[in-house]
Amino acid sequence: MTRRLTQKGNMNDRMDAALNKFRSRMTSYPPGMCPLVMYRTILQMSINQSCGKCIPCRDGLVEAERILKKIIEGDAEIGALDELKKLSEMISETSDCAVGVVAANTVLDSLREFPDEYESHIKNKRCVENVNQTVPCITLCPAHVDVPAYVALINKGDYAGAINIIRDRNPLPTACAMVCEHPCERKCRRSIIDHPINIRGLKKFAVDQITADQVKTPAPNVATGKKIAIVGGGPSGLTAAYFLSLMGHTVEIFDEHEKLGGMLRYGIPEYRLPKARLDEDITAILNAGDITVHTGTKIGRDVTVEELDEKFDAIYLGLGAQLGNRIPGKNSDCENVIPAADFLQAVARGDAPDFKGKTIALIGGGNVAMDAARTAVRLGADSVNVFTRKRDDYTALDTEIESAMQEGIRFTTLLSFLHLEADKDNPGKISAVWLQPEIVGEYDWSGFVKTEHSVTKYPYRFKCDYLIIGVGQRCDVEVFDKAGIPTERGRILADTACMIEGKEKFFSGGDCVTGPSTAINAIAAGQVAAHNIDEFLGYHHKIECEAKAPSPMPNKCIPTGRAEIEERPAYERKNDFVHVEEQMTPEEADRESGRCLRCDYYGCGCMEGGRAPW
Amino acid sequence: MVNITVDGRHLSVDENSTILEACTANGIKIPTLCYLKQLNEIGSCRICMVEIEGEKSLFASCRTKVREGMVITTASNKIVSYRKHMLELILSNHKVDCLNCTMNGVCKLQQLCNEYEVKGTSIQGSRRHIEDKLPILDSNPYLSYDPSKCIHCYRCISACNKAAVNGTLRSGRSGLFRTIEAPFGEDWKSTGCESCGNCAEACPTGALSEKRKRKYRSWEVKKVLTTCPHCATGCQYYLIVKDNKIVDTEAYDGPSNHGLLCVKGRSGSFDFVHSPDRITTPLIKNKEGKFEPATWEEAISYTAKRLMEIKEKYGKESLAGFACSRSANEDVYMVQKMVRTCFGNNNTDNCARVCHSATVAGLAKTLGSGAMTNPIYDITHDVDVILLVGSNPEEAHPVVGMQIRQAVKNGTRLIVVDPRSIGLTKYADIHLKLRPGTNVAFANGMMHVIIKEGLTDGNYIKENTEDYEKIAELVKDYTPEKVGEICHIEPAKIVEAARMYARADKAPIIYCLGVTEHSTGTEGVMSLSNLALLTGKLGRSGCGVNPLRGQNNVQGACDMGALPTDYPGYQKVDNDEVRAKFEKAWGVELNPKPGLKATDVFPAAIKGDIKGLYICGEDPLVTDPDTEHIKKALGSLDFFVIQELFMTKTAECADVILPGVSYAEKEGTFTNTERRVQRIRTAVKLEGDARLDTDIIIDLMNAMGYPQPHLTASQIMDEIASVTPSFAGISFERLDNGESLQWPCKDKQSTGTPIMHVGHPARGKALFYPALYKAASELPDDDYPFFLTTGRILYQYNAAAMTSRSEGLVEIAGEGFIEINYKDAERLGIKNGERIYVESRRGKITATARVGRKVSQGETWMPFHFPDSPVNTLTNAALDDFARIPEYKVCAVNISRMD
Repeated sequence: MTRRLTQKGNMNDRMDAALNKFRSRMTSYPPGMCPLVMYRTILQMSINQSCGKCIPCRDGLVEAERILKKIIEGDAEIGALDELKKLSEMISETSDCAVGVVAANTVLDSLREFPDEYESHIKNKRCVENVNQTVPCITLCPAHVDVPAYVALINKGDYAGAINIIRDRNPLPTACAMVCEHPCERKCRRSIIDHPINIRGLKKFAVDQITADQVKTPAPNVATGKKIAIVGGGPSGLTAAYFLSLMGHTVEIFDEHEKLGGMLRYGIPEYRLPKARLDEDITAILNAGDITVHTGTKIGRDVTVEELDEKFDAIYLGLGAQLGNRIPGKNSDCENVIPAADFLQAVARGDAPDFKGKTIALIGGGNVAMDAARTAVRLGADSVNVFTRKRDDYTALDTEIESAMQEGIRFTTLLSFLHLEADKDNPGKISAVWLQPEIVGEYDWSGFVKTEHSVTKYPYRFKCDYLIIGVGQRCDVEVFDKAGIPTERGRILADTACMIEGKEKFFSGGDCVTGPSTAINAIAAGQVAAHNIDEFLGYHHKIECEAKAPSPMPNKCIPTGRAEIEERPAYERKNDFVHVEEQMTPEEADRESGRCLRCDYYGCGCMEGGRAPW
Repeated sequence: MVNITVDGRHLSVDENSTILEACTANGIKIPTLCYLKQLNEIGSCRICMVEIEGEKSLFASCRTKVREGMVITTASNKIVSYRKHMLELILSNHKVDCLNCTMNGVCKLQQLCNEYEVKGTSIQGSRRHIEDKLPILDSNPYLSYDPSKCIHCYRCISACNKAAVNGTLRSGRSGLFRTIEAPFGEDWKSTGCESCGNCAEACPTGALSEKRKRKYRSWEVKKVLTTCPHCATGCQYYLIVKDNKIVDTEAYDGPSNHGLLCVKGRSGSFDFVHSPDRITTPLIKNKEGKFEPATWEEAISYTAKRLMEIKEKYGKESLAGFACSRSANEDVYMVQKMVRTCFGNNNTDNCARVCHSATVAGLAKTLGSGAMTNPIYDITHDVDVILLVGSNPEEAHPVVGMQIRQAVKNGTRLIVVDPRSIGLTKYADIHLKLRPGTNVAFANGMMHVIIKEGLTDGNYIKENTEDYEKIAELVKDYTPEKVGEICHIEPAKIVEAARMYARADKAPIIYCLGVTEHSTGTEGVMSLSNLALLTGKLGRSGCGVNPLRGQNNVQGACDMGALPTDYPGYQKVDNDEVRAKFEKAWGVELNPKPGLKATDVFPAAIKGDIKGLYICGEDPLVTDPDTEHIKKALGSLDFFVIQELFMTKTAECADVILPGVSYAEKEGTFTNTERRVQRIRTAVKLEGDARLDTDIIIDLMNAMGYPQPHLTASQIMDEIASVTPSFAGISFERLDNGESLQWPCKDKQSTGTPIMHVGHPARGKALFYPALYKAASELPDDDYPFFLTTGRILYQYNAAAMTSRSEGLVEIAGEGFIEINYKDAERLGIKNGERIYVESRRGKITATARVGRKVSQGETWMPFHFPDSPVNTLTNAALDDFARIPEYKVCAVNISRMD
């Protein structure tokens, strides 16, 4: 009997091509959809994947799907939930392979994660409120910047218009153009066809064509006579100051540093965000309205909280999270054991330690850790060695890690911190860090893999001159805590409206509320806080935006590549602090912006609810 | 062994067992539905699920192995509720039509639903009304598949693919679900399905079933366990009897068939019993040559008188009596006893003469016992290489064929030595497609390579054999090149086959009539015995020399002494001590002179030496070679009496016909190819005057003057045991108590002998017999340029007296044909399916041409079952020197178009 190789282009291959598209379809699953419908899709997919052998998977899932469909369509009684749960538990416990087990577990997940949606379908025969499909990029940008509008303006060559559109929600277009993690791109509908629009890249192109300080901000409102204090001159505070001043309020910014910008200045290294470029945004913000700046002023030291409460109509706390966490245990306060945030701040201030020819160890895999590692390389370190417990600990952007690797940084995973070895010859210093080899284990409840100590590998001693600790930061809340502002573990307790329970004049947002996060989240908080402070003061001030989205042209949906921003060659860039990113060319920007599908116009974007009123 | 706890009971169980096996072995019942032991342990239905302490999931006990310390619960509230849920889910896609269902009462789904009080379901299955899309498939004469009742447990698929290893019942997909693609649709004839029905046997519901099941319900029938009357595999099954009529069969897990049956056993083994053309009254031919009914008294006294007259007139050597290798042991014993005590000679034989007499003679000479050395299971399970010579078990011994297919599927290497590309060649590592009649050369070539390459088992040869030097000397000349030329095969293939066989640890030789039915048949057999001895593959598991005996009781017929040279148990008639024992037992003086072999009786009749002939159930006019010669012989007789079920061609020539009864109407035993003595039992008692064959013979004996007391079959077996050392321990009582005995079984304590020649060969030292290759006696020439070989097909048996009375078998295969190589056909302008002439020096017949690549150029092949192509008109009665077996496998023919 003749054997044959698998034929290329066989049924499975052809299905794979379709499945790739299906994967894109899942990636771009629009926000604002009914979760039960999505679960039904997953369930149907699972039914499709059943080999047909065992009864629970083959026939049980079909029955589960029928019940779910009844619930979705509003034809089910409340008992259906229990029926679905029991059936799913049975399938999960009796199916022969993962196809059935996981399918049933997925249904059980849905029951656990979306009880409100289930209840709404059964009781009200509809989805819970506000479940409406919305424009993906606008929805996913925490500040809800009108992305399609500015991408379209870039396509038209109106870069000033584009900057104004951005500023309508985010007064730091330049900083975000350089460092934003661009959640807006995550579910870009373009993924259905090829890849998301390079939104950050286009924004960068715009601010590279005309600097933000050259673009006139909207005319501020006439003065209201209200005075608002902003504590913290980082992205959150600056954003709040910008919007509040445009509303006609008098704003005073208090910041302990010499210069404004917060972590954008003292955390993010020069090579990622040149300080001159940051100043373009800050200049524009400070010129927008009535803003006074008090740098070098620390609350609790120079001004008390009570004084602020007395003098101002509202106070916004945008303190950031600038205190680098230390690792517990002996020798952790040695002078050559430095938290990453402290290290970056020192470099930004011009107090960089001498790393020339030194061996640097670094524990942590987040963006701050990557910034510290790449900065250490630029300071002439002999080697920079990053250790993490597991791969999941690399929470930094993939592009950051890739760039770091290109710059010669060494990565080793599956090593957990054991203890620090004191330097016998130099009191106050360590000479090595001890690490424990790990093996991967099961996943935890949140979907991250857990590790356990390897019993076959011996602890590992790594000799180093410096150890940088990149394991998170916290906020210095002591003063505010004492003044009655509620805090918890280095964070201020504020709600999603940036309001603080029991302290109605006080508002807070950004890293000091959420813990270390991204600039755009801080900006969103500043914007929300400004709006809510205005409301709190009894107004509904509007902010003008002169730029308008141009009329869209239909997009032919032809699959086209995504224009990426390249970095300067690694061998070159790793020796200096010059901005690493190359410029996008006009032709690239033209093509890239032309890929936008204009979801603000086509599809749900033009409907009521399509652009949710944030 | 490992320790587990089941429902609070502490058990010590085999560490390789599944939870289900462990529980079953300890009497703990776990319900199952899709489970078929070792075949379908796939965990489809989940009915057998159990809880294991510490595990969240439940596990299908049929496919979960035990582990030390496991704590198992087999029936908690949760398990019971889940089982109910499973049943409901199954019911949701099952057309509940119990009242009209053939399986009503025996349906496993029905039983479980009763047990678990599942009365129906509100679940809406996804495959309701599937029969609208996928219609019932029932074009096959026996089998039918109704998708609406199918629960997709895959038992049928596993039965077909893992047990029968036929591989024609597959699963397909229709969008969301898997379908069963049963090969019973309109194209059923071209699917390769063997209609064996093992799938139907496996089906737990009425979805896939034998159509005849529609005619009865389980509570209307009784079941009678018996042995298949076709080939010598000895499959065990129940005859299903409703109102004194056999309506069906049901496989039994016998030691040789393991629950499997072939199409003939399952569907072609009972229609003939109730055939309206059964002879039901004694017939005596009148002066005009017409048969007239007679009373038993008339028939018996007339027959006895005529026979005794001939004895009186021409002397005691002028009579002969043949037993039949399809009759029961007890019948055969009585025939030979009658010949020896009443005729006064040893002119008794059976049709083994024309199939495996070469085996009996050959292996007795070299090994000391002329029977299959190892059990079927032993040579088809866990062996390294099977050397299959001149045997097409897929068709001639189908249930052995299935087990060989299983073995090959599980990794056993297969060497097929056969002139035809039989079905098994598809799976064979090596196929030596040799010229018919060149077996001896092939075996000598193998031995040449084995000796030359030092692959012999020197120790075994030294300890257990004699005359090694002779064989070593003989095979020196049989170089692969020389043998390749004789056999028309590549020399390299002989070398490879020799190495493969010799180097294997466990490698049985399995052979059949392709070896024996030659004018050099006995030497062919001895050559294979040489091969096994040379490599020490004798007297141990997975090895041996294993003739697949042809007919159901061909082994037994020889064992019972229906041989001209042997009393029962191969005790020689010319041995004075032995004869004295039998004279004492039977109370008469016995003739010490060995008798005539059956194939010598016919020429003797023509010569006038034999004047009177008694035949018990054979049809030599159809089955023996050179029909004209047999016709002439029968015509030369003064008196010819036959005991028969049907008016066969031979019966038509008789002077008296005595109607006996079939295997389904009597008690008795058959001895299968592996020397296993197995019971047949009375299933029905039919109207008419037909009588038990033993009663007829006993009456005849008494009428001829021998005082033979009337004995039951069981009593006859006791007499056999008393005179036959190798049967001494065998009795109906033991067999009916569930014992399975393979002779030699020397006393009541002995459990029989599965493997022979253990320790040392039965002969003491085995004999190497050097056989020179001699060409077949009739070779193609200018006038008759083609080889003709004859053989069996799956769907008929021998002269088809029994199988042709099953309509379905005739529908599947009812016409004589001849296989021709496509190149020959092209040259002669013969088209596939065309009726053509086939002619030999002895006669001319027609057959339908099957053109293809199965036979080599210059060779043809025909089955011998079909009256429209009576192939023995053509065959050559050239006889082997030792066993007088005819050369069915080689004669020269010419083929031509009819126009």
